[in-house]
Amino acid sequence: MPITLLQTLAATNDWRSIAPEIFLGCLGLALLGLEMLLPKKEHGVIPFAAILGQGGLLIAVLAGFHHAADGPAMKTFGGLIQHDRIGEMFRVFFLITAVLVSVLGAVALAKQRMPKTEFFAIVSVVTAAMMLLVQSNHFVMLFVALETVTVGFYILVSYTRTNPLSLEAGLKYLITGALSSGLLLFGIVLLYGVGGLNGLKGTSDSAMNFGALQNFLAQNPDNFLAAAGIVLVLAGVAFKIGAVPFQIWVPDVYQGAPTPVTAFLAVGSKAAGFAVLLTLAQVFSAYAPLVTSVLGVMAAATILFGNLAALSQGNVKRLIGLSGVSHAGYLLLGVIATLHGQVLAQGAVIFYLFGYLLASFAVFGVMTHLAGEDDADQRREHYAGLGRTHPFLAVVLAIGLGSLAGIPPLAGFMGKLLVFIVAFKARLYWLLAVAVVGVVLSIYYYFSWIREAFFEEPNDPGATRQPARTPVGLIPGLVLTLLAAASVLLGFYQGGLAGIIGLR
Amino acid sequence: MPDLLFNLFAVFTVACALGVVFNRNAIASALCLLLCLVGVAGLFALLDAMLLAFVLVFVYAGAVVALFLFIIMLLDAQGGTRRAFGKLAVAAGALAAGLLATGVILLSGSLGPAGSVPLPPPDPSLLNLGETAELLFTLYLLPVEVVGFLLLIAMLGVIVLSKRFAGLEDIK
Repeated sequence: MPITLLQTLAATNDWRSIAPEIFLGCLGLALLGLEMLLPKKEHGVIPFAAILGQGGLLIAVLAGFHHAADGPAMKTFGGLIQHDRIGEMFRVFFLITAVLVSVLGAVALAKQRMPKTEFFAIVSVVTAAMMLLVQSNHFVMLFVALETVTVGFYILVSYTRTNPLSLEAGLKYLITGALSSGLLLFGIVLLYGVGGLNGLKGTSDSAMNFGALQNFLAQNPDNFLAAAGIVLVLAGVAFKIGAVPFQIWVPDVYQGAPTPVTAFLAVGSKAAGFAVLLTLAQVFSAYAPLVTSVLGVMAAATILFGNLAALSQGNVKRLIGLSGVSHAGYLLLGVIATLHGQVLAQGAVIFYLFGYLLASFAVFGVMTHLAGEDDADQRREHYAGLGRTHPFLAVVLAIGLGSLAGIPPLAGFMGKLLVFIVAFKARLYWLLAVAVVGVVLSIYYYFSWIREAFFEEPNDPGATRQPARTPVGLIPGLVLTLLAAASVLLGFYQGGLAGIIGLR
Repeated sequence: MPDLLFNLFAVFTVACALGVVFNRNAIASALCLLLCLVGVAGLFALLDAMLLAFVLVFVYAGAVVALFLFIIMLLDAQGGTRRAFGKLAVAAGALAAGLLATGVILLSGSLGPAGSVPLPPPDPSLLNLGETAELLFTLYLLPVEVVGFLLLIAMLGVIVLSKRFAGLEDIK
């Protein structure tokens, strides 16, 4: 290969365009360096350094948001990466997630005798990989970024290794994650192979590229091998978002993982899966009937299974995991609506994810604070009388759960409303009926948790092995206040965010 | 001649794969896996995918299976009794095999008889290790860098999950 051709290939390697991801990777390395250089008694600054770095980057990305998002969509790295408004939105989303996970991690790790620095380094690298994942425009980039996210989660899930449930969760996540990667890869290989097959129209020798693949699929709308590849790729992504029938890992992994990691899985990993799904839905748009029928059945089963299974859970981590499964179902409705040509549907999905982020972290923040030595054992009885002993935490919990249940006027209600409106416009009537049944079911288990916190007498800590309740620290308290206030504000006033994601 | 070689390698690969499943001795299973991978590498070589064939032998046969053998010997996992399959499992397996066979037959029907699609001549750039490497360091440089970070956090994972820390009591 002549050297000039190589130079043109590398000419679009624009490293400045992925500066936030590079910064996060370097932050991970710098934290490890800090641990080596600092004396042992000053290791307490490492969590602060991590939160400061991620928070500073968040502010920098927000400051440059309009400059980056309002320009035309731009492809760099020879078409591996595409920068657009949605990618920029998700960059902000994942940075907020990273800051919140680091804050919760600092709170949770203080109760354990675990190594501390590695947690924040892994969270930084995983966040960078998620940001690359949602901007990838090529299956090679997508798979490498996805595997980096997944490998990071294998470690984070089994982080509290003195707890057998955490190790079990890590093993289960490893096995199901490897299976889902296998399905995804098999689908990618089928698409790549058939996209380069001689004798078909529109073939390309770079069928891993989303643009080339979309062009090929549009010219061959009834190819069996391509359809098989699409179904396998969708199955691989469905594992990540925890949609039925690929949800088996969710309850055990959510229970066993340390609470901050459960929050990271519930919000970050799910949002990354949906961002990929939104991109792939456009790439596969020539096969819209197939994709909508597969996702439609999946959405209905996911909503019903998640809500019915959550009804009988006494462990709140399993409950929140299964309710997260049902939220994946509502979000799938929005993804299906994009395939019916609803221009607002992408914005509705992103808005729902932001509402879900605020509400989930409010709930997970309260859970992290109340968790005892055994992080996996958090039962609903432990919340009895929280309204008397910790009115602040009880109110934050009620706002978070109310937003998850979709009670007006909270952000979760507006998210559900927007998704349901686009689904209605896309004429998904039977799916909407299932979703409404699901919402009614979910109110039961969310409210029995709230009732436990407000209307039950406080337990005798000795009798129920309820962990001791401690006062809330200043920074976690501030973060929880912000989350709850944002949940309420976003319910009343969507103007800013709705304008940015193109709902108006 | 290529047909004869293909049949030879295909039968060899399938036989070794069956050997992996049916052997009672874990070490013999792992060695069958090694031979199976060599067979697959032979199939790749017949398709002119020399690089893939070599990488398969180096990485999987050379490193991964050797690791399997280490772990089997460390755990001293020998024999053991195997539980018989239940009726439900047999029925489910038969159903899955039937569906798979139907799918393959339908698919081979829809694609037409084998050999109807002429294979393109092999891309010379894929045969040359140097040019593949140059691609990795130009077009695919970003994924390569990301893989570097993947390995870094995998290393951190080994430290977190296996290092002995003061005051940390591991479960037995």
